[in-house]
Amino acid sequence: MSYALEVRNLKARIDDLEILRGVDLAIPFGEVHAIMGPNGSGKSTLSHVLMGKTDYQVEGEAYIDGVDLLSMTVDERARAGLFEAFQYPTEVAGVSLEALTAEMAASNPDDDGFAERIAATTERLDMERFLDRAVNVGLSGGEKKRSEMYLLGVANPKVAILDEIDSGLDIDAVREVAAMVEALRSPQLGVVIITHYSRILRYMDVDTIHVMVGGKIVRSGGPEIAEELEGAGYMEYQVASAS
Amino acid sequence: MPQTPSGTTEATWLAERRTAAKERLGTLSMPSEREEIWRYLDLDFDPGFESVPPGPGSSNDDHVVTGWHGTVVSIVDGYTTSQGVASVGELEESVEIVRGSDLFSTAFLAYAPGSAYVGEALLETPVLVDIQTTGTATTFPGVHIDVPRGGDAAVVVRMRSTTDQAATVVPSITANVGDNARLTLSIIQDWNYATRSLGRGVIRLGRDAGLTFSEVGLGAKLGRLHLDVDFVGDGSHGKIYGAYFGEGDQVLDYRYFMNHIGTNTRADMFLKGAVADRALSVFTGMIRIEETGKRTESFQTNRNLILSEGAAAQSVPNLEILNNDVKCGHGSSVGPLDQDQRYYLMSRGLTPKRADRLQVHGFFEAVIEQIPDQHVAAWARDKINSKYITAQEEGRV
Repeated sequence: MSYALEVRNLKARIDDLEILRGVDLAIPFGEVHAIMGPNGSGKSTLSHVLMGKTDYQVEGEAYIDGVDLLSMTVDERARAGLFEAFQYPTEVAGVSLEALTAEMAASNPDDDGFAERIAATTERLDMERFLDRAVNVGLSGGEKKRSEMYLLGVANPKVAILDEIDSGLDIDAVREVAAMVEALRSPQLGVVIITHYSRILRYMDVDTIHVMVGGKIVRSGGPEIAEELEGAGYMEYQVASAS
Repeated sequence: MPQTPSGTTEATWLAERRTAAKERLGTLSMPSEREEIWRYLDLDFDPGFESVPPGPGSSNDDHVVTGWHGTVVSIVDGYTTSQGVASVGELEESVEIVRGSDLFSTAFLAYAPGSAYVGEALLETPVLVDIQTTGTATTFPGVHIDVPRGGDAAVVVRMRSTTDQAATVVPSITANVGDNARLTLSIIQDWNYATRSLGRGVIRLGRDAGLTFSEVGLGAKLGRLHLDVDFVGDGSHGKIYGAYFGEGDQVLDYRYFMNHIGTNTRADMFLKGAVADRALSVFTGMIRIEETGKRTESFQTNRNLILSEGAAAQSVPNLEILNNDVKCGHGSSVGPLDQDQRYYLMSRGLTPKRADRLQVHGFFEAVIEQIPDQHVAAWARDKINSKYITAQEEGRV
């Protein structure tokens, strides 16, 4: 059986600057994993490289449900089942959320479940009043996350990468986002939460936590890691990684 | 009454104006692109003023704006053909606002059969002015809109060719908006790609008068509109929108002047355009505030999308401010489609072509959604989107 997402010895650099130095990761379907690490450890780069942002030179392997990801264009990766919820989702002036989901459906003619998912997700996330507003324009931090979670629900991916999903949110919004992620859990989906702080992990069940430092996963384990990090921070790993 | 070129009679004032203009025309030559007001334009062609037709050609009555329910005024080859619509030549004195002394403005005065007069009697319902050219002759269509004090008028002017033959057109659209009156004026420029159109617009606003103006520019080989909006009355205000899309070898030239004369006047000017292939667009904006224009607020924005390597856009906003107690601003940009937007939309599964279409749609929407006439807005949205999709399918963008 294949993993939702499998990454083998993934390296990425921008010219001479190595950012990912051989990342290995396996996310089974049905599980929620978190990748934690200090600023600059390469967490967000990992999500961009997987999504196909062209700023990087990439080596290694990545598979979504056993299908090679790295040979595909950005839109092909999305249609193959990868969804990245962005830390700073781009504003698209003049394009309503409704127009965007219509185009998502039109770009995936083989998937006939869009209409149903649009209706169901609109209701579940109470998005009716946002549908005719321009994508991400004039939204608060929390509303942007909600809009990204909405598109995730509509896209129905196999892998969801949530980049810094809790950054810039007040505590109520963090709880709300945590509940939305919990509601996503399904045997057909693998979820990766990328976060700097352990705060959001208090409000949700995570199967595995990976600690990323210096462009590598340096430790993987259960939820207890989050508590340790809350006390001791990343210092221990950074020292180990530097030596 | 003196005779017109078509053998009818016209008012003495018009005949005198015509004679004076013809004399002046003899002293003028074709302007040069070295002159600032004609910069970037290729004016190396014969304007053919002598070819003014003696009457209208056969018109096309397919009425243009789908779902239109108001009055229709037809102007064919410069002649007003609708029954019950007066020409300014039938009025006792001139109401048109004459502006400009260049070759084309002078030629208009010399050769125009007489602008259609759209006044109080016609303005009870929305008016569609359907300007057509039917052949190769040089024509001078004109319309003068007269909104009485306290009136509320809606006018759509559509300019189109009934054939694909090359012609030169010198349109004139003028309006006088009385005190406390409102005018909503939407212009559709949809000439064929062989036509050169050198248009002039002058709109004068009275005290507390309001204007919502929009122009959608899609056609013409050379499509120029030189617009003056005169904020004469205290408290007069206007919103001026524009959307244009150039392709092939089209040149679209906008020269928009906001002239603030009264106190407490306000203008918002917002034009967006895209150019593909080897097309060129030119925006020259001017906010001019006279010494009398105390507490003016005036803003101009022009944004341009370059869709092909060979296309270009010139965007030149200007300010001339003779009073200190004002608020003004301008913004201008020229650039390709946004890479971040494309990446974001592709990350949602949209093919690059669909992502770019959506982005182009979104780019224009900020202006198109402001066009007050819903028929014109829907028409513009549809036309621009389909032009872009065709260009994509043909690999031109």
